[in-house]
Amino acid sequence: MSETTPSEYVTLVSNDGYEFKILRSAACIAGAIKKALDPLSGFRENAQSRVDLPTINGVILEKVCEYLYYNQKHVESKEVPDMDIPPELCLELLIAADYLDC
Amino acid sequence: MAAERSKKRKRDQDDAIAKIKKGKESKKTAAKKKKKKGGSDDGSDYEDMMDMYKKAKPLPGQRGSCELCSKAFTVTPYSKAGLDGGLLCTPCGKEIAKEVKATEKSNKPAVRRGRRKIESNRLDGFNFRGTKTLQQLCIEKLANHADDIDEFGDMPEPIMKRLSEIFSKKRATNSTTLKLFLQPDMRSFAVHEAAYLQTEDYNQIFAVIPNLKKLALRNCCQFKDVNIEYMIEKAKSIEAIQLLGANLVSNDKWIDLFVARGKDLKALKLEWLDAAFDDQAVEALTTFCPNLERLKLERCKLLGVDSVDAIARLENLKHLTLRFNVEIPRERIINLVRTIGCNLRTLCLENFLDNASDPTDELLDLIHTCCRHLQKLRFTENNECSDEGYVNLFKGWANPPLRYIDLNTTRDIDNGNPDGPEDFPIGLASEGFKALMAHSGRQLEYLDIASCRHISLDAFADTFDGKKQYPNLQEINLSFCPVVDTVIVAGIFRSCPKIKKVVTFGCFQVKDVVVPKGIVLIGAPRAHDALEQFGEVVMEFQKELRREMEKDMERITGRVVPVMS
Repeated sequence: MSETTPSEYVTLVSNDGYEFKILRSAACIAGAIKKALDPLSGFRENAQSRVDLPTINGVILEKVCEYLYYNQKHVESKEVPDMDIPPELCLELLIAADYLDC
Repeated sequence: MAAERSKKRKRDQDDAIAKIKKGKESKKTAAKKKKKKGGSDDGSDYEDMMDMYKKAKPLPGQRGSCELCSKAFTVTPYSKAGLDGGLLCTPCGKEIAKEVKATEKSNKPAVRRGRRKIESNRLDGFNFRGTKTLQQLCIEKLANHADDIDEFGDMPEPIMKRLSEIFSKKRATNSTTLKLFLQPDMRSFAVHEAAYLQTEDYNQIFAVIPNLKKLALRNCCQFKDVNIEYMIEKAKSIEAIQLLGANLVSNDKWIDLFVARGKDLKALKLEWLDAAFDDQAVEALTTFCPNLERLKLERCKLLGVDSVDAIARLENLKHLTLRFNVEIPRERIINLVRTIGCNLRTLCLENFLDNASDPTDELLDLIHTCCRHLQKLRFTENNECSDEGYVNLFKGWANPPLRYIDLNTTRDIDNGNPDGPEDFPIGLASEGFKALMAHSGRQLEYLDIASCRHISLDAFADTFDGKKQYPNLQEINLSFCPVVDTVIVAGIFRSCPKIKKVVTFGCFQVKDVVVPKGIVLIGAPRAHDALEQFGEVVMEFQKELRREMEKDMERITGRVVPVMS
């Protein structure tokens, strides 16, 4: 375990400078973010609780954050209604989701 | 005509009634206003007041001016009212009516049609808990909007593959959407539901992808001779071909294909062929494709004994799956296994019966002596081989433990004596089952023993006693094994730590099982509420596992795990 206690919130930064502060537990649903924040790896991301995502723009990242919270909220429930995704964002969001592994 | 007239009459009547009502209302409001006598400045009164000063609406037959376009027109009983209460001319009225209809449609509450889907997913054994992945959500959305997409651009290959699968599942793969998936640098291409594709579309595949190695098309009804020709011409490096239902390809063209591409061909899977592809074609296949490693011929109507003999010459074969429509004499099959059995990784023989001669276990004995590398064995729908045969197969078999065993529907058929001959059980029965689990239990991942009716309760209880462990078993099908009861199912949960799916259709002794978390039990007929039961209860034996896992997780990630009550 790392010596410093991990902060409750982390900041995700899009390539156009938007910052999203979300719960660490939610952010870690995305595999890539989870690895970046892994205290054992000792990346700067963990020390600063800040993850730069230079391939994802603000609009998409907002949707990603929405998904992460949606996922966390429904983690135990059955027959979850699908989250609404605007069709025009689908492809970009799909690539982002593939990159983030969520 | 008469109906129309009566409709018109009714509408007129309605209009008249509406008019009368309106009149009454306006009188009422007027009366109210009088009562209130000014003393208010709120909007509604003001509006009412304004109404009084408005010009009366023109009656049918009179001229009026349209509220929207202010053109003069003749008022008819059909003239529509505008948003501000005035009348509209015919063209404007039509426009408004259209808009109103559109908004009405969009305002309609969405009909819940997911129910069927959910049930189907459940029966497929998808254990739903929590949300879908974001990727899954996006892909589904995309498939719904398939018609609006022009190009996918650069997508990672696994995602493309997944997209293509989902498009197929939704039957959305047609001439337009096919183009989305074709990329020149691909090595393998699959359409699992190609029924809407046309002959030209198939050529498109070979034209766009020059280095195609692996092709899989299911339900490719319009795949014709010309496509085979084009494939021979363009797809120079093709190694694996899978076609389901390509009935418009003639015998000669199949042979042409084998002659031209035979040397490189490593895998061939053909299913559901009725009109062509006969023994001659298989003969050509075995002559010109010496390097074939994987062969699957299922439900090809014209194939017979000669094909079996021809296949026996394919010495490099590693995976063989056969299902014929005609009866094959036992000695031909035995000859086949004797000659090529030693190299096989997969052996699937479905529905091979020989009612002409007396039943023997010769085939099983031969598999025992010949096969040394089998990982997957399917031998189904057979009432000839005896329990003793299965014991001899598995006992002291030099073949390493199998990963996949399907022996479903191997049992005696005699309606007068449903339990079969007692002293000489037919099909996989108690002893055979025990020998099977003793041989392969530790590596077995999938086991199908549906309809193996003669396995006794003791044999099940002994195998799944909760102490013996089958560490890799993930899926088991016990349907129509009448003795299976609640205790056995509970024993399976304890004996198989990785088990995900237990199928028990027709097992009437299975009642009120408590299904542990992460496991789905399908088909228990006496279950009170549902055909499929998803585990919710965390059992004692699971708790320990879970505690360890959580410790691991904390150590690795330090993640704050959301805890729900």
